[in-house]
Amino acid sequence: MNESQKPQRPQDLLERQVDRALRGLAPRRAPRSLEVRVIAELARRAALPWWRRRILQWPPAARAAFIVVCGGLIRFAWPATGWAIAEFGALRRSGAPALSWIHYGAAAVSGAAQLLNVIAGALPMSWIAAGLVFAAMLYAALFGLGAVAYRTLYLNP
Amino acid sequence: MFMRAYQDMVFSTAARLAGNDAQAEDIAQDVFLKAYEHFDSLRDNPRAGGWLKTVATNLTLNHLQRYRGRWRLFTEMHSESADCDYAPLDPPLPDTLAADLGQARQSALIDAAVSRLPEHQRLALALYHFEDFSYQEIGARLGVSLAKVKTDIRRARAALLPLLKSCGVVAADLKD
Repeated sequence: MNESQKPQRPQDLLERQVDRALRGLAPRRAPRSLEVRVIAELARRAALPWWRRRILQWPPAARAAFIVVCGGLIRFAWPATGWAIAEFGALRRSGAPALSWIHYGAAAVSGAAQLLNVIAGALPMSWIAAGLVFAAMLYAALFGLGAVAYRTLYLNP
Repeated sequence: MFMRAYQDMVFSTAARLAGNDAQAEDIAQDVFLKAYEHFDSLRDNPRAGGWLKTVATNLTLNHLQRYRGRWRLFTEMHSESADCDYAPLDPPLPDTLAADLGQARQSALIDAAVSRLPEHQRLALALYHFEDFSYQEIGARLGVSLAKVKTDIRRARAALLPLLKSCGVVAADLKD
């Protein structure tokens, strides 16, 4: 990425001339809005309360407290997870009513799966294939529409 | 003052790589926000321009690579077939028409032609001619083979050649 690596082959006239022509281009003029945008974004960031900034910009005391709290949570998390798993197993074995919602949820999922299975079995294969083809075509049409809109409205407004 | 000194260079770098002024402005904004974070060391540093150019290049390449997969089909539907992107850009200008334009207008014409190159050609060309990358560095940065880098740059030059000749910035008898 330095000058010594640039066109060194005198025989390559095209490369050297194009290189000279492109390097001779005047810099593009930055839009006037750029400076305004940067200043506005800096002002927005400066107005943020400290807890919404990056942690490196927090006050030192807050950073220290955060690290201590995180360390404590990590220290606590491992035994707490083991304790929770053990307690959950014990409750499940005892058939506690507090866990009955889990059984209801499992039953609902199982019922929905059986219903889908029955519907799939009852429908002719050709209907299912037609449905899949229709869904694929709909997806492709919407994707194409999005692509055209993007190219028309964004790339070439 | 710092920003005014460098904003054209930063915007140029991003715009010539990205080929899109709106994206270039977003990227240039990010570059100056990063510069603000390091302003104490950049303020009086003679290498600030180089730092900004490097950051602008890296942010633009990151931006393009992040969105390339997502938007490729959207933006390059017309150029996916093997060699259809070899054609010169636009209707060719009469031989000396662009030579009569002022330098600023010529630069604008050439910049516009560069921005209309297919992305893979524009990136390789801009990295090589504007950013001083070697072929190997371009291949490594873009994740493509050395041969593809050379082919893309050669085709980009060939596509630009009629306009460059018309502007009188390369020899009229130059062959691609």
